[in-house]
Amino acid sequence: MTVAAGIGYALVALGPSLSLFIAFISKKPFLILTLLSSTLVWLISLIILSGIWRAFLPLNSTTWWPFAILIFSSIAFQEGLRLLFWKVYKRLEDILDAFADRVSKPRLYLTDKMQIALAGGLGHGVAHAVFFCLSLLTPAFGPATYFVDRCSQIPFFLVSAIIALAFVTVHTFSMVIAFNGYAEGNKVDQLFVPSVHLAAGMMTLINFAYGGCVIGIPLLFLMAILTVMHCGRMVWRRLSESQRQVDS
Amino acid sequence: MAQNQRPKSLLDSLGEEIIRILTPVSICMLLVVLLVSILNSSSSLYVTSSIATIAYSETGSDSSWDKFIGALLNSLVFVAVVTVATFILVLFFYLKCSKFLKIYMGFSSFVVLGFMGGEIALFLIEEFSVPVDCITFLVLLFNFAVIGVLAVFMSKMPIIVTQGYLVLIGMLVAYWFTLLPEWTTWVLLVAMALYDLAAVLLPVGPLRLLVELAMSRDEDIPALVYEARPVTHHDSASRPVQTRIWRERQNARLDSEDSSSLNSDLNSTVSIVQSSHNGARIARVEEGQVSQRDAELSAPLIDHRMDAQDGLSTESLMLEGMGLGSSGAIKLGLGDFIFYSVLVGRAAMYDFMTVYACYLAIVAGLGITLMLLALYQKALPALPVSIALGVLFYFLTRFLLEVFIVQCSLNLLMF
Repeated sequence: MTVAAGIGYALVALGPSLSLFIAFISKKPFLILTLLSSTLVWLISLIILSGIWRAFLPLNSTTWWPFAILIFSSIAFQEGLRLLFWKVYKRLEDILDAFADRVSKPRLYLTDKMQIALAGGLGHGVAHAVFFCLSLLTPAFGPATYFVDRCSQIPFFLVSAIIALAFVTVHTFSMVIAFNGYAEGNKVDQLFVPSVHLAAGMMTLINFAYGGCVIGIPLLFLMAILTVMHCGRMVWRRLSESQRQVDS
Repeated sequence: MAQNQRPKSLLDSLGEEIIRILTPVSICMLLVVLLVSILNSSSSLYVTSSIATIAYSETGSDSSWDKFIGALLNSLVFVAVVTVATFILVLFFYLKCSKFLKIYMGFSSFVVLGFMGGEIALFLIEEFSVPVDCITFLVLLFNFAVIGVLAVFMSKMPIIVTQGYLVLIGMLVAYWFTLLPEWTTWVLLVAMALYDLAAVLLPVGPLRLLVELAMSRDEDIPALVYEARPVTHHDSASRPVQTRIWRERQNARLDSEDSSSLNSDLNSTVSIVQSSHNGARIARVEEGQVSQRDAELSAPLIDHRMDAQDGLSTESLMLEGMGLGSSGAIKLGLGDFIFYSVLVGRAAMYDFMTVYACYLAIVAGLGITLMLLALYQKALPALPVSIALGVLFYFLTRFLLEVFIVQCSLNLLMF
């Protein structure tokens, strides 16, 4: 429904990411490059998944269990890719530290590493929002709107924008938690991220039932808030630890 | 906060040069996508007959194989014209007619900004019903074109004006290319990427000859080149932006496409504009001059200036080139801007999902090319990797990803 509505839906999905981008990432060119490469990596993961599943589509939309398998396999693949992403990041960190030594600048601080993780997570979130929500928004710029049967109270575009917002939050902060978990060897953190991702994905299955989105979407936001809180706690703990180390 | 007392971290300035060249490329692509989505939604089948469709005019009713063969013929003709024009350019450069080339390039820029810009402005005026009269429009357009020519060829203008006009020229030419029929556009992109590869890497390639001539004579190649602002650091003396400095250092350059073909295209499209008012006389006169009009709208260079320290290892050069410790600036030929934007513009004609995918692919290709440049330290073509990735991602997205995403999204299932 008109350009204003289209821009509105886009901002619902990507507004917080835009703020994060302008506040933190646009100031450091390396983080912009990290964001772009992360988005590319997750796009490639989506393309590979769609290549694997192409033969089985279109799925019968009355039964829910093929979709469950689809979501489960996709999330498993993406979590595996996250581990690979971490390994590549480790190598990059070593190169950057060696380079810093050579030009006699300080090595990467803890906040630097967390910012790189944040940029990586934001790339993941932006990839999700762009491909699942933004690319389908083109009709929203026109004169009409579209409703889905299963969730007929609000337009489809708004529903997908809201879901995309929740997922962007989950993805962005999961990456920070995951990187920190791998760096510290913290099993809780390492397991937290895949389970939250899986739970969030499975919760969208609730949308399958008629009127299910009234229950599914608030639960999804619960997961997002959980992720943010856990990330905040973890970051606070690490920063105060490193501050204590510096002071002592 | 404790951060203010710490010395500046490594992350603050790493990679700045790459961003300075990525930003204008992204802006150009964004503008072309906007133009395409605004102007083409009115679904006017404005088929430009230009030199790129001289062999075969695509109609909707032909079979796929016919379209493919037709597109192939078109692209071969186009690439042949480009090759001939580049060789003529090399000849002129060899005979030291640089002044003539510069004047001719100024004239081409004027024509692009004046006529193509005017056409597109007219489309926009029509689309949005802007109330403006002819005389005002002519005066504004003339001033716009003249300042553009001055900005591109005089170095006394503020650099932001020069950069802005270069991006605008790239956008205008790219938009005209997107008006070509679909199959022709894709095959043409692939053909140009292959041509670029051949012209720069083969010993007999025209672009390589041009670069070697320019290097041996210590002269500038007269061409349109986008130059990112050099990164100045507080510890290094600010160097004047002279192109001669890089001759003494190690330099590695990327060569991209020269678009002398654009001029031929330009002639025919200009002739289309004029022939609708006058007869075909002008059209024939213009097209007859194709072989003589050989100046380029875009230069074959990505120029990477390095710092004066010799004996640097490749790795440090690679990272050094990303802005730390070097005052070098990356230059990118306008042909790269144009063909990247054509790819993205054509993707926009299908759907926005392909636009995002192709954008990421092109940026990745550009990054890879810059890394290869730092690794190999010699002239490299900038088109092939990006165009290859872009085309690949376009077809993958169109045929695989879209079905998958739409299936999931419409059932409100996301992960």
